[in-house]
Amino acid sequence: MTILCVRFQLPPMHEAALPGLLGLLEEFTPVVEALPPDGALADLRGAERYFGRSAVELASVIRVRSLALHGVDCVIGAGPGPMLARLALRDAEPGVTCAVPEDAVAAFLADQPVAALPGVGAATARTLGEYGLDTLGLVAAAPLSTLQRLVGAKAGRELREKANGIDRGRVVPNAVSRSLAAERPFHRDELDADRHRRALLSAAEELGARLRALDKVCGTLTLTVRYADRSSTNRTRTLKEPTAHSAALTKAAYGLYEALGLQRARVRSVTLRAEALGPAEQASYQLAFDPVDEKLRRIEEVADRARAKFGPRAVMPGTLAA
Amino acid sequence: MFESPSGSRVREVRVPGFTHLHTVSGFSLRYGASHPERLAERASERGMDALALTDRDTLAGTVRFAKACAKEGVRPLFGVDLAVEVPGRGRQERRRTPVRGGAFIDESTPRVTFLARDGARGWADLCRLVTASHAGEGTPLLPWADNMADGLTVLLGPASDVGRALAAGRPDRAAKLLAPWREVYGDALRLEAVWHGRKGTGPGSLRLAARTVGFAAEQRIRPVLSNAVRYADPGLGPVADVLDAARRLVPVDATKELDSGEAWLKDEGAMVQAAERVVEAAGFRRDTAHRLLEQTRATAAECLVDPEDDLGIGTVHFPEPHLVGAGRRTAQRALASRAAAGMVLRGYAGKRPYWERMHRELDIIAHHGFASYFLTVTQVVDDVRHMGIRVAARGSGAGSLVNHLLGIAHADPVAHGLLMERFLSKERIALPDIDIDVESARRLEVYRAIIGRFGAERVATVAMPETYRVRHAIRDVGAALSMDPADIDRIAKSFPHIRARDARAALEELPELRQLAGEKERYGRLWELVESLDALPRGVAMHPCGVLLSDASLLSRTPVMPTSGEGLPMAQFDKDDVEDLGLLKLDVLGVRMQSAMAHAVAEVERATGERIDLDAVPDGDPATYQLIRSTETLGCFQIESPGQRDLVGRLQPATFHDLVVDISLFRPGPVAADMVRPFIEARHGRAPVRYPHRDLEGPLKETYGVVVFHEQIIDIVAIMTGCGRGVADQVRRGLSDPESQGRIRTWFAQHAAAEGYDAETIQRTWEIVEAFGSYGFCKAHAVAFAVPTYQSAWLKAHHPAAFYAGLLTHDPGMYPKRLLLADARRRGVPILPLDVNRSAVAHRIELVSESKVWGLRLALSDVHGISEAEAARVADGQPYASLLDFWERARPSRPLAQRLAQVGALDAFGANRRDLQLHLTELHRGARGSGSGGGQLPLAGGRKTAPAGLPDLSSAEKLSAELGVLSMDASRNLMDDHRAFLDELGVVSARRLREARHGETVLVAGAKAATQTPPIRSGKRVIFSTLDDGTGLVDLAFFDDSHDACAHTVFHSWLLLVRGVVQRRGPRSLSVVGAAAWNLAELVELRAEGGLDVVAARLAEPVPEGGGDSTGGRRIQMPTGYELHPWADLRPAGEEPAKVRKLWHQSPGSAG
Repeated sequence: MTILCVRFQLPPMHEAALPGLLGLLEEFTPVVEALPPDGALADLRGAERYFGRSAVELASVIRVRSLALHGVDCVIGAGPGPMLARLALRDAEPGVTCAVPEDAVAAFLADQPVAALPGVGAATARTLGEYGLDTLGLVAAAPLSTLQRLVGAKAGRELREKANGIDRGRVVPNAVSRSLAAERPFHRDELDADRHRRALLSAAEELGARLRALDKVCGTLTLTVRYADRSSTNRTRTLKEPTAHSAALTKAAYGLYEALGLQRARVRSVTLRAEALGPAEQASYQLAFDPVDEKLRRIEEVADRARAKFGPRAVMPGTLAA
Repeated sequence: MFESPSGSRVREVRVPGFTHLHTVSGFSLRYGASHPERLAERASERGMDALALTDRDTLAGTVRFAKACAKEGVRPLFGVDLAVEVPGRGRQERRRTPVRGGAFIDESTPRVTFLARDGARGWADLCRLVTASHAGEGTPLLPWADNMADGLTVLLGPASDVGRALAAGRPDRAAKLLAPWREVYGDALRLEAVWHGRKGTGPGSLRLAARTVGFAAEQRIRPVLSNAVRYADPGLGPVADVLDAARRLVPVDATKELDSGEAWLKDEGAMVQAAERVVEAAGFRRDTAHRLLEQTRATAAECLVDPEDDLGIGTVHFPEPHLVGAGRRTAQRALASRAAAGMVLRGYAGKRPYWERMHRELDIIAHHGFASYFLTVTQVVDDVRHMGIRVAARGSGAGSLVNHLLGIAHADPVAHGLLMERFLSKERIALPDIDIDVESARRLEVYRAIIGRFGAERVATVAMPETYRVRHAIRDVGAALSMDPADIDRIAKSFPHIRARDARAALEELPELRQLAGEKERYGRLWELVESLDALPRGVAMHPCGVLLSDASLLSRTPVMPTSGEGLPMAQFDKDDVEDLGLLKLDVLGVRMQSAMAHAVAEVERATGERIDLDAVPDGDPATYQLIRSTETLGCFQIESPGQRDLVGRLQPATFHDLVVDISLFRPGPVAADMVRPFIEARHGRAPVRYPHRDLEGPLKETYGVVVFHEQIIDIVAIMTGCGRGVADQVRRGLSDPESQGRIRTWFAQHAAAEGYDAETIQRTWEIVEAFGSYGFCKAHAVAFAVPTYQSAWLKAHHPAAFYAGLLTHDPGMYPKRLLLADARRRGVPILPLDVNRSAVAHRIELVSESKVWGLRLALSDVHGISEAEAARVADGQPYASLLDFWERARPSRPLAQRLAQVGALDAFGANRRDLQLHLTELHRGARGSGSGGGQLPLAGGRKTAPAGLPDLSSAEKLSAELGVLSMDASRNLMDDHRAFLDELGVVSARRLREARHGETVLVAGAKAATQTPPIRSGKRVIFSTLDDGTGLVDLAFFDDSHDACAHTVFHSWLLLVRGVVQRRGPRSLSVVGAAAWNLAELVELRAEGGLDVVAARLAEPVPEGGGDSTGGRRIQMPTGYELHPWADLRPAGEEPAKVRKLWHQSPGSAG
């Protein structure tokens, strides 16, 4: 009953507002774990005693502050551990905090679908569903060996523990969100490769600028292409060295895009996501004899300063200005 | 050349009537936007004397174009636009395979226009080129080696290799590319200039047109001007864009180059202007334009192909006599001797009337010179029979004694009173047609046998253009306009199968589209574009039954392409074109019932050793007629539809003749004209039998004075007027045309009076002839139909298990398979589940040991997604000792094995179905990488599979799996699960409904089996539907006052709950007139989730009020005189029940 899982109801593409909202939670407890794009876990063990209120009461306070300060509503679930708090969040709605009491865990879990469990993805849920194990109650009742045959030894053991309400997770504070995303939607089915590339360039520029503003570098880049039929393709690439350099990100993004070989696919949006963020000062950088790269970085630095002064559209690649 | 500074002098040199040499129609698939008829009509309106049709890759529009031109008084020119292989063009680099969406459609091959110049030779060349371009794999491409002809004129336009080089600003390269063309075609080569007002130097630009004219002058090749026409009228550019998008499978991109909107059939003035602009831009003086136009005119004038003489319209070509067994004799002699031999063989040798009739028929055949035709059909039928395939003649051909003697038709026409004149007479000019029915499953075998007999140069199947109707039009336009695929799908599925041009009218008027009509504005230009695609061909398929037979000149008269699936040669013309071209068409229909009966007979022989000869089953079997009279005729040929079951119930057939009458009566005409009631009254003795005159008692006696057959009309006219039957048949044909009816009436009155009949008799007889003449049915057809009807009913009565095995294997008829299975269950045939150790590829019969009854074992081939090879492998490997054994020897794919486990086919190996699935997954994982064990028997001997502790499938999940995998509820009827809820509602079961009173209001429920909106005499739209509730069938009718409330629900739900009033018309005739309908699946879910109160709330929701007739009284006048509701007689909206594979809900844990 001491862990809260909060999901802020942010409008899409506003995940930049998350750090501010996390600050709000940190007023109650230092143990806050961000769940990008719009959620967070907060451990209130100390806060309950300090504020003299229960976690559920504190949840109401958090909601009120969030609405008053940021104009953002939120949904809150409470439970004895992070996993249970997350599960509780599924049943909560604005104004109604769902709390799982410690003595009613088994009853609460029994009817939950397996897909609700953190760490159970679509593939695992489908596998379990195929074998009739679609609720956590059924999973808890199944023999361990059978579960392990289904999903593997380690995953099977963990699945069974979780289904039985054994929550070994802890809330690990992580200061800022672990990824940044930039989406470029098209207003109609877009097949033109040049326009796709232009969108990627613009997204990579944005990511680079945002990373540099945060003094971060990213280690991997993920490209998500959404199609007219609501399906999508994901491709991830680990960068040779962590970077926040727009030119390097653009090159990686183009590489990801070329590998798809799209021709007639009806693309409705492209999203670039920078992941594995780390502090810029710890990033390694391979020096080269070629001065071009060095020059580009300096230009970028200048451009960043110009943008800081005259607004984000002050300096941009020529192809995007047209 | 006139040297003239003034504009008026320039006018004088204008060439009268510009001729468009490059025009495509809608037959250029997804390219041309206008029908050939429209092009001819516009050409005539715009004062053109001639017009060419040069469709892309096809000559399919030729016949329609030639006929339309003849009507409009325009001289037709024939040509084709082909993609031509360019010598020395290297293979292009292959691009990476896209992860999504597929590759671009490659349209980079140069295209060239060929015009037939030299009469028949030109046409033959054209056919040869088209055939050659379709011979290769992939998209049609004319190999350079085949690119030579003497009778053609060739236009090299902007799309040709030469034109492209010019567009690229490379006249040097163009000159080099021109050389091979000049070598082959010499003086017949033209350069085609096209100006569509485009910018730049690409196709349609002024600069390219000017370069073309300049290059032509430089190279001393004659230039011509064309407009590369794609549509008849201005303003159709957006339609062309949609067609381009549909062809390239991409959306219309407004930022890219769209159609110029100029490619319409421009009149002379506009073309003269274009010519002037082009020559000016080429640096010549403006008045040289007339020379360009003169060259165009001269090119058109050279192209002399006469539709009658050169295409062969109106002449007949039969296979050579020596191929049809005539040897050195003439075909007529051979036919006569074979007919005489038939007389002896069939034991008619001593009967004088037979001899007389035979000679009379032979005279008629000789008169037309059709002997080769009869011999050809005989040859085909003999060949088919030797292959052991069931074959029967249908159609009016069954009325000819010669056909019977040759073994083409089974029934003896003299005994059944069938007339030769209905089939062929001296007065009848049209080519007679004999249709033969063969087993559907072996139809392609028959085609191959015919090709083998006559040679590929004489035989081709017939094409059938698939045209745009509303659903496909919505899908293609929606995709072109970048609409959401889910929206497109929903909109397309809500429409019934109507013509595309009726889309907006249907939205206005149909109650089931009311919801969609509300959001109509959201889709902008969709509706307009959908309607403009109406009836344009969008693909071409093989006609399901027509086979062309000709002499060796077929390939020089018809372009032939291979069919996509089977690779059979197929003429590009459709069945009407083929008749106009005088090609002999034999209809070889694949009849599923014939296959089903063949399978049933084979099963009986396999299981019991008893050989049944269906053709020798004696008539008058009491059990068979008892079955028919009970109206439990599901699955019987021709008498299984709801309407037929009703009619059979009222008519109570007792003899073969009754079946013939029954089949004839159940036609839209007789039903609409209510010929049924007087007939039934008279038959059951409730009304006296009346004849207009005692002379007519002869022909009318067999049907109690009611006219049912065409043959009776022929006889009546022949008797009353004293004319021959041949003339009488011509008169009968004239009756359906209101214009000629008046003339016939006078003629009839005069001649009948001359024969001495009084005015009153003439008047009464005429009324009958007039009213029923065009409705009746050809008795020869009916007799041919009644034979399989009787045979199938006999099988159902005596070998039910085998009968159902045949039906389920070959799926004939109108009902989904699950309904046949329900019928089998009701008739006490045990349904044995799928079992890999017992089931064969096809459905089988099996003796159930405890009850000594033959049961039906379900087939492997019905498992969703099983391939023929897999099914055969499973069946060949039987028996299997264990799951491992099965896995290793049958080597099923993993999804297949999972499906088999779900439906219980692996139950014999122990463990529950989910455990089996887990074992299969592990076997699959283990097998990956190590390669399969081949056909070796496993050594390890675990017979039973160990349980893994997974929960077994629940009973509902098992049923759901059966529906999903087999599309049938095999273990029990799916309605059984809702029995308790239906009892709560007070629903009457189909069995109890039989005792219901007329006029009683009842609730009925069930799974929808078939929905139709047939044409009705009253001109109303009535929705007929059949529900199956496990205890029997309930036939429903919804009249138009209930459509607002019910239509959408009835069309789009699978499980229905219906409130209605019982209608009784006879002891066995019963239907429910629906007043309200609900989606039962929805109610069941509400019941399960929220209890009865929620269900009550749902039932209490107001239903839309009936708005009466939304068409404003609009009716379609049929040629037969009665009125048709504009939206009746269509395939209705929604999905067909046979395709439903899912139960109403699917919980995340359900199997599959």
